[in-house]
Amino acid sequence: MTSTLDIVIAGGGRVGFQTAELLADRGHDVTIIERDERIVSEIADEWVATVIQGDATNPDIIEQAGIERADAIAALTGETGLNLAVCLAASELSPEIRTVARVDRQAGEAYTRFVDAILFPERAGARVAANELVGSDVQTLVDVTGDLDIMIVRVAEGAPAAGKQLTDVRFPAGTLIVSDDDDGHQIARPDTTLTPGRRYIVAVEPDVAEEVMNLMRG
Amino acid sequence: MSGSQTRSPEAELGLLDATMIGMGAMIGAGIFVLTGLAAEIAGPAAIIVFALNGVVTAFTGLSYAELAASIPKSGGGYAFVREIFDDLSSFIMGWMLWFAYMIAGALYALGFAPNFLELLHVYGIVPPPDQVGAVVLPLVDTAVPLAFLLAFVAVLGLVLLNAISTAASGSVETIFTIIKVSILLVFVAFGLASPMFSGAEFQPLFPEGSGAAAVLPAMGLTFIAFEGYDLITTVTEEVKNPRENIPKAIFLSLAVTVIVYLAVVTVAIGTLGAGELADAGEAGIAAAATSFMPTGLPIIQNGGALVVFGAVFSTLTALNAVVIASSRVAFSMGREGQLLPSFGQLHHRYGTPFVAILASAVVMLASVALPTQSAGNMSSLFFLLSFIIVNVAVIRLRRERPNMNRPYEMPFYPAPPVIGVVLNLILTGVLVEYLLQTDPLALVLSVAWILLGGLAYVAINRLKGRSDRKMTDSDTTMTPEAED
Repeated sequence: MTSTLDIVIAGGGRVGFQTAELLADRGHDVTIIERDERIVSEIADEWVATVIQGDATNPDIIEQAGIERADAIAALTGETGLNLAVCLAASELSPEIRTVARVDRQAGEAYTRFVDAILFPERAGARVAANELVGSDVQTLVDVTGDLDIMIVRVAEGAPAAGKQLTDVRFPAGTLIVSDDDDGHQIARPDTTLTPGRRYIVAVEPDVAEEVMNLMRG
Repeated sequence: MSGSQTRSPEAELGLLDATMIGMGAMIGAGIFVLTGLAAEIAGPAAIIVFALNGVVTAFTGLSYAELAASIPKSGGGYAFVREIFDDLSSFIMGWMLWFAYMIAGALYALGFAPNFLELLHVYGIVPPPDQVGAVVLPLVDTAVPLAFLLAFVAVLGLVLLNAISTAASGSVETIFTIIKVSILLVFVAFGLASPMFSGAEFQPLFPEGSGAAAVLPAMGLTFIAFEGYDLITTVTEEVKNPRENIPKAIFLSLAVTVIVYLAVVTVAIGTLGAGELADAGEAGIAAAATSFMPTGLPIIQNGGALVVFGAVFSTLTALNAVVIASSRVAFSMGREGQLLPSFGQLHHRYGTPFVAILASAVVMLASVALPTQSAGNMSSLFFLLSFIIVNVAVIRLRRERPNMNRPYEMPFYPAPPVIGVVLNLILTGVLVEYLLQTDPLALVLSVAWILLGGLAYVAINRLKGRSDRKMTDSDTTMTPEAED
């Protein structure tokens, strides 16, 4: 029972790499499968994930990525068909694994018959663009993410900070507990208690995300 | 943030800082404490002992470099093996490495105490170390040797320091290491210039009776002197451009350390002679220094005091390094679910792996009661064993994941890891045989620790199995969710 997940990402392009970086910042173990030698070298420079160079549809390559131990796989290349093939192959090799496929069209919901979740990054990007264009003082969480990671975190039972008041918990600099639970009625105060099981809006810088996760999630 | 205090995050380390972390951990008790013991076993051939150990370690250094460059994790040897091996093997690796660091901590503390007494003695505060008796503790009404008490207090102090504040950053370590190396260089310079060295006698090179064969057990005992470069791989995440700098830092720190050691051991034997060096035991280098360093200097009075201070300082900083290293191994094992989860948690207020540090402290404090030689033997033994696993890990990773991206590939594969395994195995065998004859206690304790590990492994898996069943229903909703 660990809070560190083993995650395989097929495709180390823009979407795949950003995903890997976010996950690694939160302390998860990420392995990227990437075909292109140039991209492999770029990823290696960033030091966020182990990289297997090869074709993600090749079972031998998927196995080298440690699929039998992985908790989840995300196929994030630009080709929907390939992504689905990778997820299906992964489920075949490791039936318990959680699969996420990147798709390229709106009708993607139908794919959830084959994979646990789908994602349509163009759509998500478009939503951000639309928000920006309309220009509003109120922004949804994802819009402000320059480097900051703003997320809702549920405090786990038994985590180091669980049940403690904010004054008693020394978070690393670069952390801000924003809301007093996820109803969002109140901004957190020094005497706010981090109740296990409740969710809090938290803003963190990527450097310290892992530590914050440790404190709140155990 | 919301009215509460914060801590500053860690600094970024350059190639120099990373190299200094490795050197700082290596140049500590190993050279100051074990030179005398090595001279006792091998005579003037102690020089050869240190040189050969450097060669043996270099092969494992190549393996560490390749693993550290291709597996982007900070956990050191345990993290790499965890990535490659199944549950049991990686548990054993973690368990052994954890012990190796803790016993090394005890060794450094035991090396610190006599040198500290020597330092006090130089200034006339206490009688010579061998005449310092025991202090009577009024509470427990028994006499405890002062040296033991000092070692105990040193461990306790550094443990508390690390338990309540996040570790001193790499740049402090760099300054510390530069101080240590400078002091050793002063020692070497004065030693070479002293009249005692001009009459240096290195013959007979090997001790009578055992001959050249005496080199091997001495290598086993002093192997610990080259432990430390592996600590570079525990901070990789904080190092700039790690895939280039980590392998470089490993090789640089090893090379410079070998040179420093050879110079120091040559001077120590050349001036004091192997016999007297052996008699001085843990304070061998300090004794050599007081024999030739100039006296009547301003402030420090006796030049030898500088080197004794170096020994005190080095053993303390090396002790600090292994307190951190041992708790990091226990912390990683906790994170991976291979020890109780509380080992993998940061303290809510201090931000330190509190439980991991305290657990390591218990073993370290208990081990301080061991004789210095036993502590050296045991930590060498466990480092040898874990280095064997690291070499095997490289071979296994190459075979099982040929397509893995390796920013640094060792030359002449598979020769280095195979040679590394063979040489480490030979030293392990020699050390075990030597222990059978001279130090059965160390061997018994080593076996006991491994058996205890077996019990812990079974118990933790039982516990995990139970809580896993409980958690499966509720766990799906427990993941942190990012809003999109």
